[in-house]
Amino acid sequence: MACSSNALWAGETTWFCCGAAWGPCGSAGGGACGNCASAANHGAWPNASQACWDITRPDLCGEGGIPRRGCGSVMNVTHQCSGATVCITITDCGPRTRSFCGEQSCCGGSCRINRVLDLTPAAFTAIGSLDSGVLPVLITE
Amino acid sequence: MTPTRTSPARRSFLASAALGGATIVGASALGALDADAAFAAPAPSLDPAVTRTSFAEGRIGAVKGSVLHVAGSRGETHRIQLTNATSVWKARPTTADAIEVGDGLYARGVEMPDGAIAADAVWVNIVNLYTTIRGIQRDRLHLSHGGHELVARTIPETAASYAGGALTSDLSRLRIGQPAQVLGAWRPADNSIDLVRVTVGH
Repeated sequence: MACSSNALWAGETTWFCCGAAWGPCGSAGGGACGNCASAANHGAWPNASQACWDITRPDLCGEGGIPRRGCGSVMNVTHQCSGATVCITITDCGPRTRSFCGEQSCCGGSCRINRVLDLTPAAFTAIGSLDSGVLPVLITE
Repeated sequence: MTPTRTSPARRSFLASAALGGATIVGASALGALDADAAFAAPAPSLDPAVTRTSFAEGRIGAVKGSVLHVAGSRGETHRIQLTNATSVWKARPTTADAIEVGDGLYARGVEMPDGAIAADAVWVNIVNLYTTIRGIQRDRLHLSHGGHELVARTIPETAASYAGGALTSDLSRLRIGQPAQVLGAWRPADNSIDLVRVTVGH
């Protein structure tokens, strides 16, 4: 599969670490799919499986329609203001949307509400800065 | 980054660097001194000559002049070239002087012909962790992360966000048992973190 331009979702992305890593990330492991790596353009999707959905529960934040996309799915993630884009592969389950309902990330006078995606450091830095923690993004496939 | 955002020192460096023209322009376009602002800008600014950025992560094994020698977590090695235009973050925006052997690093930049990465941004020891608050003291939080205990020390910049609200220096509304996203800087000496930002929900 290849990344494409069909609209999938929009929201907030944060970042996380996985796979071989330093510091507190050293115990993160390979994620739900087993092959997640901080240095690769990977991501975590809140509906990677039913078991994943039961943990993330984006529906509790009003994001009930997020479709199932399992391990190996690919999607384009675009910063809603800069247009910077990265093509990622889903290798983990996340983020825990339900723990942060209503959180928003804004730029250019427009905000995206609720975290619906987690990116590895490699993917996140392709479209933004790690110290921002969150970014508003458009997701296509 | 627009031309007006490029400092004289940075322009001087870019003009004198012995790199290919497209690579130089690309490094400038990636944001450099104020990466946050560059990526928050309403219009794309990446130079068309740069089709992709390079990324590296790992522990710093040596600092030789302006080059960081990094041991990647998967056994690879990287050379990270710092420039006058490289933005450095280590708990706060800082300078290359703050970088130490043993620190962890994420770097973004452009790969040069010799294989080194000319970095437009490096984030030193940065972590962004999903945790649960297990204890609260005046100068620190006790957290659990992936089944491991983690101490997060407050620093002057520490801020909290509650239920999607704006950042505040008031940490008094944090509660034991809350899930918390913590962004901070790892301290290799004692495996704690300096707490920059803690985000909790409802």
